[in-house]
Amino acid sequence: MENILDRLIVGKKNKAKIVLLPYTLLFPAVAVFLIFMFYPLFYTIYLSFLDWNMISPLKQFVGWKNYITLLYDPLMPVIIKNTLAYIVILLVLNCIAPYILAFILSFVIQRGRNFYKGAFFLPSVISLVVGSILYLWILNPVGGPIAIIADFVGITIPIWTKTQGMVIVVLSIITTWKIFGYNFIVVFGGVTGVPQEIIEAARMDNVPLHRIFWDIVLPLSSATGVYIFIMTIVQGLQYVFTPIKVVTQGGPDNASSNVIYNVYQEGFLLYHTGYASAFSLAAMLIFIGLLVIEFKYVEKGIYYEN
Amino acid sequence: MKISGNIKYHIVLIAALFISLMPIIFAISTSFKELSEAYSNVLGIIPIKPTLDNYLRAFNGLPLGRIIYNTFIVAAVVTIFKIGTSLLAAYAFVYFKFPGKNILYFLLISTIFIPFTITMIPNYLLVAQMGLRNNIIGVILPQLSDATGIFLIRQAMRLIPTSLIEAAQLEQASHLQILSGIVLPLIRPAVISTSIMFFINAWNEYVWPVLILKDTSNYTLPLALQLFISSEGGTDFSMAMAVAVITMIIPLGLYLVFQRYIINTFTSSGIKG
Amino acid sequence: MKEIILENICKVYGKNEIIKNLNFSIKPGEKIILLGASGCGKSTTLRMVAGLDDISSGNLYMDGQRVNDIVSGKRDISMVFQNYALYPHMTVADNICYGLKIQKLTDLEIKSRLQAVVKMLELYGLEDRKPKDLSGGQRQRVALARAVVKRSGVLLLDEPLSNLDAQLRVHARKELMKIHQAYSQTFIYVTHDQVEAMTLADRVAVLNKGRLEVIDTPQNVYNNPANVFTAKFIGSPGSNIWPAHYQDGYVHIGKQKVKLPEFWNAYIGQKNQREFYLGIRPEHMKIYHEQKNNTFIGIIKYIETYGNQCGVYFMVEGCEGIILCDNFSLKPGQKIYFSLDSKKIHLFSKKNENNIGYPEAYYDNLYKYQSV
Repeated sequence: MENILDRLIVGKKNKAKIVLLPYTLLFPAVAVFLIFMFYPLFYTIYLSFLDWNMISPLKQFVGWKNYITLLYDPLMPVIIKNTLAYIVILLVLNCIAPYILAFILSFVIQRGRNFYKGAFFLPSVISLVVGSILYLWILNPVGGPIAIIADFVGITIPIWTKTQGMVIVVLSIITTWKIFGYNFIVVFGGVTGVPQEIIEAARMDNVPLHRIFWDIVLPLSSATGVYIFIMTIVQGLQYVFTPIKVVTQGGPDNASSNVIYNVYQEGFLLYHTGYASAFSLAAMLIFIGLLVIEFKYVEKGIYYEN
Repeated sequence: MKISGNIKYHIVLIAALFISLMPIIFAISTSFKELSEAYSNVLGIIPIKPTLDNYLRAFNGLPLGRIIYNTFIVAAVVTIFKIGTSLLAAYAFVYFKFPGKNILYFLLISTIFIPFTITMIPNYLLVAQMGLRNNIIGVILPQLSDATGIFLIRQAMRLIPTSLIEAAQLEQASHLQILSGIVLPLIRPAVISTSIMFFINAWNEYVWPVLILKDTSNYTLPLALQLFISSEGGTDFSMAMAVAVITMIIPLGLYLVFQRYIINTFTSSGIKG
Repeated sequence: MKEIILENICKVYGKNEIIKNLNFSIKPGEKIILLGASGCGKSTTLRMVAGLDDISSGNLYMDGQRVNDIVSGKRDISMVFQNYALYPHMTVADNICYGLKIQKLTDLEIKSRLQAVVKMLELYGLEDRKPKDLSGGQRQRVALARAVVKRSGVLLLDEPLSNLDAQLRVHARKELMKIHQAYSQTFIYVTHDQVEAMTLADRVAVLNKGRLEVIDTPQNVYNNPANVFTAKFIGSPGSNIWPAHYQDGYVHIGKQKVKLPEFWNAYIGQKNQREFYLGIRPEHMKIYHEQKNNTFIGIIKYIETYGNQCGVYFMVEGCEGIILCDNFSLKPGQKIYFSLDSKKIHLFSKKNENNIGYPEAYYDNLYKYQSV
């Protein structure tokens, strides 16, 4: 494949010109990345060694102090616990559930595939602010539609925005509403990549559906599975920022804050610029770990699936 | 036996769909109810007394025309720029061999996994320094560094049979002619769906504008909508729903028109790294 | 019409030598077929001539000019790709004229060339269709038309008929001859199909593992194979090759021996070697039911029937062989006696596997032998 390219570079006379061309084509993209991605990345590292409030002209170099503070921050256990809770809930709703639905849609039922695919994707084009406000209304404990229906059966909806634990569940559901469709489509692509004949062979041997799922579909679509697992965590934690910001501002008492929201809170509400930078870098370590897994497994899995 | 088995699964799917689509129907329905009906006839899908009052009040209470214009400009500029740069970059990555190619591609694609909090503070300082705080140009700039377009368009280009490009080279076609005459028409579906998704994402962008926009007249739609939210309750929900409908109508319309392209592009986006 | 010379052409991918020192020249207007098994480097050779692949070392000349560093668009060549490489988004007419438009020919010229090629390749009424609405044979003709319409000096064809079924192939071969008659371009044609090679070529170049085994007329390649590889490779099934030893007028295979006629003895007598590979085509042997003078003994392993003939696979002295015959009553396990047509045998040196040549008696019914 790579040697298409050889021949574009044939021709000594034009060599210099042609070798420059790819860089010219890349220049606009690379320029914005340098300014708004790579430069900020390094600047954040620099900031993480400062004691600064973003406004004052005084920037004090404090070495590793921000990182040490991080270890003893009383909020830290809460944030980590919340983040893990978000991850678990998001994975169940946006990784496991789409997998099962995609399996049903691709192997169990034949009719209406395109309709379901299109309809499930639909909410993912809508703003999460819209999602937040819709769910605020729908789950409004006083007079919201769910509260009214629950009232019929004698259940009272708690004031979830003020209830520890519950608040994370609901914010995760709002986020799920947004990202489920995308995940579903991608998983569907992976699951339908499993050759139909293999499934048919298993069915002829009377293998029950759940075994087909576990023994055949899951291993054969593992690359997609790992991809979506990681994207759920990486994107999910960022997406959930919007409902947190819009609905609870991390409350009650930081019960709905996560690593992403906490950086915003430290940086833009408390003006602990250096500390926020250190915190965001620490959080990124988790993401880098996931990135390594992604490249290891998914790159391998490509061959597996083809 | 078989039919009843399938119906069971259809019910599961329909139930899941109901949960995900119901909020949208509620929003549209409530936006046409009078405020009092919004609280008294909560479950009714068809308004008893349909009214445009909520929309009129929204336009009177907010500089909505200006806000829609801002949102459109941001989304359009971001889309055009990202598609253009992604096309050029992907073309370079697919059809050229050059020193640093793999490492550069890796660096760019890795940024998809970097959480926005990492660049948030420096970008804020940068935009502030440029004097673009509270300005939609400041909203636009940091959004341009997004590698998903390079990734998706490169995927599509790689599916073009090599021999088509070679055939064009034998005809002495220039790179510009190959890109515009051969490559672009062949990856049109991917370009369309990527553009639509870029537009929709920029239209919906909330995190970054909320950091830098201060005046209501500079707002984009998601920020305007946020004005209606308070977790304390007692909000004018029917007017909020009208603004919510205005916010989502463009993305929904675009999606419904280009659905086929979008679904196909994203079905194959996850695998084949 | 262009003369092409390949001089010490090599192609290296990483540590793999794909093409090893190719040397041959192609006369203006000649039809050269590059023949070989898959992976032998024939397509790579074609792509280097086309300028689609870099030449690692060596020189490529077209009409005396070194073209290694000339981009493919400027080499005055056109090419038919194996998968046709039709632009799926363009109509047949646009596909054919794309290159002419890039060359900025006048509309009038483009139109007249299009009409000519449409007529020659019977593409009437298909001009406005897209490739996906064409049959395989039609696509192949459009690909051919697109290459022909340029009227370049060289036409390169990369297995252009391999995606057609057998009947269409016969028709397409005729069309290729027609094109050559009309424009007398230099043809370089890659195929693994011997029938195509034999029917179309002025000369056939047989490639094996990146080396040129022989380049010669189809008749010579078939009848006077230059080396063991060519003998085995050409023909279906190919020649039998057995290690043989010559002594005192007899050729020995293992413990068995048959007497050679005098003209062979005289010829071998001049050579100072006695160890050979003996080559003979399956159709140049005869089966007997009982021992005769000058027969070998073999045991039948299995039998393939081809309808009018059958192929008898047998073992002789630990070597496998095949004979074509029309005796359908033979059974596996049976003992057979077979003789060789001594005017059809080939002897190859054991050292370099090259044909040692033929005694003069051969020349009566053979084409002149030409060594590489």
